[in-house]
Amino acid sequence: MPGAPTYPQFPLRAPLSGRRASCSDAEVPACRGRAPAAGDMLPKPRSRGRPSSQADRDGGRGGDGRAARSAAAEEAPSTSRGAGGSQDPRRSSSQGGRRADAPLVVGPRSQKQLELKVAELVQFLLIKDQRKIPIKRADIVKHVLGDYRDMFPDLLHRAAERLQYVFGYRLVELEPKSNTYILINSLEPVEEDAELRGDQGTPTTGLLMIVLGLIFMKGNAVKETEVWDFLRRLGVYPTKKHLIFGDPKKLLTEDFVRQRYLEYRRIPHTDPVDYELQWGPRTHLETSKMKVLKFVAKVHNQDPKDWPAQYCEALAEEEDRARPQASAPSQASARSQTSTRPPTSAPSQTSTRPPTSAPSQTSAPAPSS
Amino acid sequence: MQGSSRRTGTMTDVHRRFLQLLMTHGVLEEWEVKRLQKHCYKVHDCNAPVEKLEDFIHNINSVLESLYIEIKKGVTEDDGRPIYALVNLATTAISKMASDFAENELDLFRKALELIIDSETGFASSTNILNVVDQLKGKKMRKKEAEQVLQKFAQNKWLIEKEGEFTLHTRAILEMEQHIRETYPDAVKICNICHGLLIQGQSCETCGIRMHLPCVAKYFQSNSEPRCPNCNDYWPHEIPEVFDPEKERGAGLSKPSRKSLRPRQH
Repeated sequence: MPGAPTYPQFPLRAPLSGRRASCSDAEVPACRGRAPAAGDMLPKPRSRGRPSSQADRDGGRGGDGRAARSAAAEEAPSTSRGAGGSQDPRRSSSQGGRRADAPLVVGPRSQKQLELKVAELVQFLLIKDQRKIPIKRADIVKHVLGDYRDMFPDLLHRAAERLQYVFGYRLVELEPKSNTYILINSLEPVEEDAELRGDQGTPTTGLLMIVLGLIFMKGNAVKETEVWDFLRRLGVYPTKKHLIFGDPKKLLTEDFVRQRYLEYRRIPHTDPVDYELQWGPRTHLETSKMKVLKFVAKVHNQDPKDWPAQYCEALAEEEDRARPQASAPSQASARSQTSTRPPTSAPSQTSTRPPTSAPSQTSAPAPSS
Repeated sequence: MQGSSRRTGTMTDVHRRFLQLLMTHGVLEEWEVKRLQKHCYKVHDCNAPVEKLEDFIHNINSVLESLYIEIKKGVTEDDGRPIYALVNLATTAISKMASDFAENELDLFRKALELIIDSETGFASSTNILNVVDQLKGKKMRKKEAEQVLQKFAQNKWLIEKEGEFTLHTRAILEMEQHIRETYPDAVKICNICHGLLIQGQSCETCGIRMHLPCVAKYFQSNSEPRCPNCNDYWPHEIPEVFDPEKERGAGLSKPSRKSLRPRQH
């Protein structure tokens, strides 16, 4: 595995290796080792670009990555070298033992280089979070930091600060010590935002909101069979393709789980086997019981207080969060995870209202998220 | 930490919401950007006067500078409409794109790009692009699949399709101009007026210099006898009209069909 890291780059850059998110060595110099001036970010590629493009002109397109790569090896003082001189950027064992031999390699890194690293990290996090897949520390190190891995905490912290200040996104760890991260919007979404978005949000959010509501109202866990019983009334079936939601079964049991909105666990000793759905860590971080309760209430055209048990629970969670804690996000998730079905929610008759007003729920998919 | 001596602007929630929403689009027309700006002001700070768009964007860009991102303003090549795109400066070429497409898809784009740059008109026919499908890196792609990938590029505003031919979307030009000029220095065409990268435009039949359609419009505005700025020969093509935002909004919100513009005049 090459020691020089990259993060996803469009392969039209001189390297032309075209592998998505791979550690192609030649891609490395493209983003480092420069004193960037606005608009002139790429002195190195210029010289690399020409040879490869001429090769293109002469010998047909493609396969010029190699020329680019060797040129890159000579020219690019990649930022991971720091004060280094003529190291081969493709040295694959730059970590561990090598470093002990050549301490100068990890020499003083210039402000500019660090700044560029933080910039790459910020972009990496933004892109990754777009897919709603939690970002692993290992991926960050592999694709962005590489030789800068020793500076992970510092760089991550700087990136987090930039994300919050510039974009209004909070970088949080999904669960304590999980080494996976997501971005939470610190700006409250506003209804008119939806009209002005370019990506139309996702229609599947509506389904997610309904299920989250159901889970909470039923005491924070619900059997999969119950979920389908409920959704059937809305015309959503596990086995039938849905016009808006596509494959609801896949959404609930795979996509939302992968995005950490839901947890999907097998219930032991059930025959036929049944599963249980709960809120996932991302849900706890992105929303709250109170918000979901308000959503459910709105759908029924009622007041959250009409469900006293759930209202109390939501209120308790609000108070918990308001209390200044050392590590707020992890607290929130930890606490919510441990709040098991309180016996008091046994009076689930209150939460059986949904069936009677199910038809009105068809207009529900206008989530407050 | 970013307490560098750079004179940077200040971000408020107005700017952040603006950026967040802007990021959901690949590229926006100027009137849409203004609408977005107004919306963000309304949400956060009803009473403050809406800053002039140019200054507003400049302020945000000064903060984005340290992240090697920029909100770039450009002009559509066919009818001169001002547009804005968020471009990546550091690694240039479309890391966003790279994460959305597979290796063979990106290679298809590269092939299409090369055909577009090499073409006389700035358009590459779908047929020509599909013919190179066999040479693509990565997983084997069939022509049918390639057709859909090309549509995906068009939907995501990297390419524009017109009557079975493809050219570069302004967004792609904004994002990739530097890279294109460096990678294909011999093949690229440059506008004689603005010196920017030229994909579509008009050319002088005598001396061969080229100009963007909006550059032609501006340069020859109210000139009854247009002559080539280089060789002074009579300019043989129809002179397009300068883009007028007022006229546009009156006609409706969708892209107007400009009567005088045939995009491929050479």
